[in-house]
Amino acid sequence: MVEPGAPQRAEGLLEQIANTALDDDYYVVRAGELAPSRKFNTVLTALVMAVFALLVTIAALQTRNDRPATERERSTLISDVAARKELQADREASAAKLRAEVETLSASVDRFDPAYENLRLQAADEGASGPGIKVVVSPNQFGNDKGRITDSDLQLLINGLWYAGAEAVSLNDQRIGTLTAIHAANGVINVNYRDIAPPFRVIAIGSSESLQQRFEDNPAGRYWAARQKEAGVGFGVTASSDLSVDPAPKGRVNIRHATAIEGEE
Amino acid sequence: MIPVIGLVVGIFAGLILQPTVPSELQPYLPIAIVAALDAVIGALRALGERRFNDRVFVVSFISNVVIAAFMVYLGDQLGVGSQLSTGVVVVLGIRIFANAAAIRRRIFHA
Repeated sequence: MVEPGAPQRAEGLLEQIANTALDDDYYVVRAGELAPSRKFNTVLTALVMAVFALLVTIAALQTRNDRPATERERSTLISDVAARKELQADREASAAKLRAEVETLSASVDRFDPAYENLRLQAADEGASGPGIKVVVSPNQFGNDKGRITDSDLQLLINGLWYAGAEAVSLNDQRIGTLTAIHAANGVINVNYRDIAPPFRVIAIGSSESLQQRFEDNPAGRYWAARQKEAGVGFGVTASSDLSVDPAPKGRVNIRHATAIEGEE
Repeated sequence: MIPVIGLVVGIFAGLILQPTVPSELQPYLPIAIVAALDAVIGALRALGERRFNDRVFVVSFISNVVIAAFMVYLGDQLGVGSQLSTGVVVVLGIRIFANAAAIRRRIFHA
C-alpha cells in the first residue's frame, strides 16, 4: 500500500489532467456552515447558468455579425492581390519590351559607322592622332608691347591652320571645338575657359607636309612671318608623324539650338 | 428547474439586448467560454455523482473564466498569446472530454 500523501506513480501530464478532470473541491466534504448544500435547484446555480448562456450567445452573435465584414475584407484582399499581380505582369512585360529596345538600340550604336566617326572627329567630340605639325609660339625676349602674343594672333594662327587643311587643332592641350573661344581676359589668354600661358603650343593634325606648305602660303602664314620679322616673336614649326589631341570638353561640343529632324538617319 | 430557467433567461437576454463586446476584450471571449464550458460539464458530472455543490460550482466557474482570460492576456503581453491560448484550450478540452466520458459512462453504463 502506498502511504496517503506520497507521490503517486508518475503519470503523463495529459493523463493526470484527464484523471483529475473533476475539480477536487467536489470531493471535499465540509462540515458546519460551509457544509455542502447538495441542491442543484438554487438561484446561485441559475445565475451562473444565465451568465454562461449570455456569454455563449454574445460570442455567437458577435461572430455572426462580424462575418460579413470579414468576408468583405477577404474578398477585397483577394481582388487586391489579383490587381497587384496583373500590375506586376504588366510591368514585367513592359520591362522586357524596354530591355529588348535597349538591346536593339545599343546594337545599332555599337555598329561602327565611318561617317558618324568622321563627324565626331570634325566636331571635336573624339580624340585624334596621326601625322601633323606642332607650332610653338612665344613672345619676344624684350618684353615690349609689340612682342606680346595676343588672342587675335592665336585666332589667326588657328584659322590659318584650319584653312591649310587641319583636321583637328589643339592649343596648349585644349582641343578647339565648335564652341571654343580664344580670348584675352585681364591680360591672360584663355581657351575653353582655361587660362593658358606662353609658350603656346598648337598641334594640328593633318598631312604634315601639305599643312606646312599651305599655311606658309596663306594670309595667316604671311602674317606670322611678318610678326616674326618685325617683332621677333618666337615661331617654330615641327612636323611629326605621331601627334595626338584630346577631345574637347563636353560643354564645348553640346548642341544648343539645333534639333535632329525626325526620321532622318 | 431554476437553473434551466436561468439558462433560457441568459440566452434570451443575449438575443434581445445584443450587447457588443469591447474590441479589447474580444480575444478573451472564446477562451472564457471554453473555460465556462469546462465548469458546466464538471458540474453536470458532479450532479450525476451526487456530489454537486453550488458554491463549488460558482467558484470554479468564475475562477476558470478569470484564469483562462488572464493567461491569454498574459500571453498577449508576452507575444505568445496564440500559443498560450492553444495550451489552455488543450487542457480544458481534455477535462471536458474526460468529464463528458464520465457522464456517458454513468448514463449508459458503457
